[in-house]
Amino acid sequence: MSTQKNCKGIKIENVGLKFGKTEVLKGVNLEIQPGEFFAFLGPSGSGKSTLLRAIAGFGPTPSGNILIGDQEVTHLPPWKRNVGMVFQSYALWPHMTVRKNIAFGLEERKIPKDQVQQRVDEALELVDLLPLAERRPSELSGGQQQRIALARTVVVEPQVLLLDEPLSNLDANLRVQMRRDILSLQRKLGLTTIFVTHDQEEANTTADRMAVLSEGVIQQIGKPMDLYDSPNNRFVAAFLGSANILDGEIKISDSKPVFISNQGLELSIQHQATGNGSLVFRPQNTRILHNDANQNDMILNGKVIYREFLGSLVRYGVDVKGHLMAVDELHSIGGKHIDEGAEISLGVAMDQTVIVYS
Amino acid sequence: MIKLINNSRKLIARVALATAVCGISTGALAASGKLVIVTSFPSDLTKVFKAEFEKQNPDVKLEILKKKTTAGIKYIQETSKNNKTDMFWASAPDAFEVLKDDGLLQKYSTKVTGIPPKIGSFPIHDPDGYYTGFAAAGYGIMWNQRYLKAKKLPAPAEWSDLEKPVYFNHVGMSAPSRSGTTHLTVETILQNNGWDKGWASMKRMAGNFKSVTERSFGVPDGVNSGNFGIGIVIDFFGLSSKGAGFPVDFVYPSATALVPANIGVVSKAPNSEAAQEFIEFLLSVKGQTLLLNPKIRRLPVNPAIYSQAPKGFPNPFTDKELQGTLKFDLKLSKNRYNLVNSLFDVMITYRKDDLTDATRAIHTLERKLAKKPNPKAGKLLDEAKALIARLPITEAEANNPELASVFTKKRKKATDKVTGRQAEIEAKWDTFVVNNYSKARKLAAKAQDML
Amino acid sequence: MTSNSTTRKSFLRLPDFSATQWGPGTVATLIAIFLLVVLILPVAKVIFVAFQEPSTGAFTINNFIDFFNASLFRESFINSFYVSAMSVVFATLIALPLAYFTTRFNFAGATLIQTFGIIPLIMPPFVGAVAMQLFFGENGSVNLLMDEWFGFTIPFMEGLNGVILVQSVHFFPFILINLSASLQNIDRSMEESALNLGSSGMRLFRRIVFPLSMPGYVAGASLVFLKVFDDLGTPLLLNVNNMLAPQAYLRISSVGISDPIGYVISVILVAFSLFSLWVSFLALKNKDYATTQKGGGGLLKRDLKKWEKVSCYSVILLILCFVMAPHAALFLLSIATVWSFSPLPDAYTLSHYTEVFDTAGDFISNTLLYAGLAGLIDVLLGTAIAYIVWRTGIWGRKALDFLAMGAVAIPGVVLGIGYLRMFYHMEVPFSDIPLASFWGIIVIALAVRRLPYALRACMAALAQVAVSLEEAAESLGATKTRTIRKIVIPLMSGGILAGFVTSFATAAVELSATIMLVSSEADAPLAYGIYVFMQSAAGRGPGAALGIIAVLIVGVGTYLSHRVIERSKRHRGES
Repeated sequence: MSTQKNCKGIKIENVGLKFGKTEVLKGVNLEIQPGEFFAFLGPSGSGKSTLLRAIAGFGPTPSGNILIGDQEVTHLPPWKRNVGMVFQSYALWPHMTVRKNIAFGLEERKIPKDQVQQRVDEALELVDLLPLAERRPSELSGGQQQRIALARTVVVEPQVLLLDEPLSNLDANLRVQMRRDILSLQRKLGLTTIFVTHDQEEANTTADRMAVLSEGVIQQIGKPMDLYDSPNNRFVAAFLGSANILDGEIKISDSKPVFISNQGLELSIQHQATGNGSLVFRPQNTRILHNDANQNDMILNGKVIYREFLGSLVRYGVDVKGHLMAVDELHSIGGKHIDEGAEISLGVAMDQTVIVYS
Repeated sequence: MIKLINNSRKLIARVALATAVCGISTGALAASGKLVIVTSFPSDLTKVFKAEFEKQNPDVKLEILKKKTTAGIKYIQETSKNNKTDMFWASAPDAFEVLKDDGLLQKYSTKVTGIPPKIGSFPIHDPDGYYTGFAAAGYGIMWNQRYLKAKKLPAPAEWSDLEKPVYFNHVGMSAPSRSGTTHLTVETILQNNGWDKGWASMKRMAGNFKSVTERSFGVPDGVNSGNFGIGIVIDFFGLSSKGAGFPVDFVYPSATALVPANIGVVSKAPNSEAAQEFIEFLLSVKGQTLLLNPKIRRLPVNPAIYSQAPKGFPNPFTDKELQGTLKFDLKLSKNRYNLVNSLFDVMITYRKDDLTDATRAIHTLERKLAKKPNPKAGKLLDEAKALIARLPITEAEANNPELASVFTKKRKKATDKVTGRQAEIEAKWDTFVVNNYSKARKLAAKAQDML
Repeated sequence: MTSNSTTRKSFLRLPDFSATQWGPGTVATLIAIFLLVVLILPVAKVIFVAFQEPSTGAFTINNFIDFFNASLFRESFINSFYVSAMSVVFATLIALPLAYFTTRFNFAGATLIQTFGIIPLIMPPFVGAVAMQLFFGENGSVNLLMDEWFGFTIPFMEGLNGVILVQSVHFFPFILINLSASLQNIDRSMEESALNLGSSGMRLFRRIVFPLSMPGYVAGASLVFLKVFDDLGTPLLLNVNNMLAPQAYLRISSVGISDPIGYVISVILVAFSLFSLWVSFLALKNKDYATTQKGGGGLLKRDLKKWEKVSCYSVILLILCFVMAPHAALFLLSIATVWSFSPLPDAYTLSHYTEVFDTAGDFISNTLLYAGLAGLIDVLLGTAIAYIVWRTGIWGRKALDFLAMGAVAIPGVVLGIGYLRMFYHMEVPFSDIPLASFWGIIVIALAVRRLPYALRACMAALAQVAVSLEEAAESLGATKTRTIRKIVIPLMSGGILAGFVTSFATAAVELSATIMLVSSEADAPLAYGIYVFMQSAAGRGPGAALGIIAVLIVGVGTYLSHRVIERSKRHRGES
């Protein structure tokens, strides 16, 4: 299986799409580099699948331009785009054997028979399923079906590979295995890949870069860690991982910036900007103060509402003046835990907080 | 109505005509020798004639198109603009009269000699020469012997027998509007008993009906299977059923009209030469002899043939009972054809259940009265009977061509005006009849209470 | 490629009108024109008369006023309605146990039972009612025996009762087929969750299984209602005239009479049929439960205990005996010498079969040709229309669907007369044969009459093909046409075959439109041959023999295709 030669970038310029009166995509702009593993992340209904399908050529023709490499494909039918797509349901044809399924795209491209045979075998080897070539899809397990779907797509050497929630029908263990397999396959083939998912762990672990979508709009694009650490807005902050978010206002009081939450909690902060905004910090950056606070800490006093044992962590829910804060503590054997109802103080290092504007 | 549709399609018709002319010229050159006959006769009959005729004329191929008489007429009418039918072959002379009136038949006179001008009181061939009689048939009564035996019923012999209470719910007949030959029977009864008495007798018979069948063959079929015991049928149905081995018998009542079964050449027939040849064949000695076949059993119109007939085969030219003193006015029959059919349907076919109920009540009353006479109740009985017999129109009205025209609606000219609509008139009759039947039933019930 | 796409872009900037719509658009237009010529115009030509003043030819609605003023017609309407409704009730009683037992329990011979359950639909005309009379008539076998043993008889076949009995036995397969299909589509999780919540037995059936199978039931029941409402053969043969369809027929086909009321009744038949079709659509609206889910395994099937098995089989056997009675009687008739007023024939013979042997060859080959072609046309149209409706955004696609379905509401006589009017003045190209007497017209008439059956089957089949299966092929480089050929059609093949069989089987015994159009015996199908035989006393046996031959041909065809469907399902691991 050849690598990289086909690899193209994708450019999306001002793409919009309406289903009847509902706008599903609003002015989407995006550039994906050749060979990049890119993820579309967002809740259901955010438009991420629609955007993927627009790239593949399914559904109504969007406004704006979609380019694969240098080629404008917005108005091309799917079969002229040379885009490989793996469907959430795998869409393996039940009336064909595994071999026939994989050979289909090659036959459509009028590849000579002997080559078809050879390339199908290669593709099957790539996904380690050569012995199952003569089975029918209904005789395969979910994970095997997934790999056949992948093989069927990559065998035609598409310019880009589109994966529509490919792991959602697999059980948890298999999912982790599969996403590594997909990633290693992508690296091996050097294919420009877009991966649609609503699971941030999947996106974080695989994607070079990702786009977070909500309500048809791209909220933020960047490397997974950058997005996590520096969310652009409240949505991204809340959507990626767990976050404690306080909505309120930043004022300058005594020439020092102070955050005043809507519930009236006052915290001195380092950020200089003023106006309405939200203060964001992560549970794992929040500490329960057993002794004294650090110098740069914000201090929050509250009462433990709940305690959850998560294995590696213990999470406390703490009520701070009407705000429910999540606090994570590493769990170790013999570690002491605070009971529900206890009054405690929380400390958050100032540099671990972010201000976002919605 | 057909006219209107035709008007709207004049252009197409003209083109069709033009192509038809071309078609005829090329057709003559090709000499296809195909003879298309629309017939109401069963295949048992047509098969035999087809085989023999094709044997005699190897160049001609017969195409038999089986249609019920009424549907056959409709078919020839609907297709007349682009006619592909050579002949129409059926029993009822009235059906031929309808086609003749529409100008859909062409004249032909047979060369065969030795056939008398009349059978009974009926001319064998159309006096105007548009159609030719080839066999005679008379109406009669057939019954299922097992049925009569099981129900302990006597065999009927006369029409009037069928009015007797003992046959209540045992008789079947076809509707005259559905069967041309049945129409003749009804007309015969009307013309010989008079309009009022004829209908009264008809209704008394109808009061005993179990079924009014949609097809004329439905009657022999019902008798053969034993669905009902007695049927009013044309002779060949009875005779051929017997010939097919069913436990049935047939009798001509003393008052029966013998009528010819006919054949005619359709106007603009594609192959009128072969058509004429077929008429000659039917009337030839060979053709006439074929009628004696046990599955056919029709009465030849050539008296000479009867010498070959099996024993007991009726001979209309010598048998006393078939000599027929009956008169039959074909013109009168033709003029009120649809009106009589419609009247029969309104009073009997569609209201059979009402009539049956009234008749049952009257029969019960009669039985009780016979045991225990009561003049008052007897008067009510007469009243009830009179109510059933009452007609929505008089004979004079029925014979009035203006009323009859409501039932044909064939406007010859655009200026012809027809007043009244058939459905409107029928609805009036229906109300009249239903009221009388229900009154009669109530009167009879009331009289029963008196006993 | 690049330049290509830019020109494309400048020409086709219209959204939703991409090149992919052109092909289906053309096909849709062609189908619409076809249906216009072979369905709308002929019917319009007939019902046009209903709006004409007979004496002047002017437009009028007086004819309709006459209709509603006549008590006979009001009564006929009520009778038709009553008979149709009661037939639905009885057909349900017959179909429900068959459908339920064969889909819900692990049952040996389920395929055979389902096939037997479809055979009543294939009752050749005339012989069916004759056979029923011989068994159930007032002096039929059953009543003769009852009279002898117990001294009383039951009027099974008297008046409207007879019509209801014959019709429900004849048409119940419509409910059986549709109900079985929707029962099979109920996901087992639906039933399991009800079991889990403590519902079981009859309550489970009443509250979960039956409501979920409602769409199939309503579809089947409305079809039964419609067919009974429009059918004229059975009432006519039983000499029941006070119903709408026979009234229309009697009035249209009477000699010389040009009373428009027959056409008025036709209009009312068509209108009421369309109305009840619409009501059933309304009843199904928002109830089209998508019950098949991922990982679903069809209806929960369970094994029966021994005594349950015995009682289930006896119920099924009883029902099958009853619904197969007409065929049994027909068979007896075909080997009987004389059968008259006796429980069984006098003696038996095979001579009827030898007699029809000479003539039947033509009839059989014509029937196979006509019904086969009609079935083929139906599945082609059905597949195309189904695709257009489900998979494209073409304007008016719903109308196309309704139009094709509307054929179910057109009585055969109306279509037959319409064809005569429409096609008799047109000629077959390059000959002087009128188009109406060309045998192809019979094929078209059959195809139009049976199109709704095939269309429903194709619709159902396509609905079960996931769109992603097509998209997968397209993204792998297959054009729409190639995708349809290589993916859609193979996946629909079971449904298409089922549609073909239904169309074929019912077309093979159809008479009402055929009889108006047969113009030469050499072109006549079996049903016409039976009709001709049944018109003479000696023809009853041969007619019945021909009927049995027709049933055998269609029955064997149905069974074989059932087997094929089952096998292809097993291949796909769907069963």
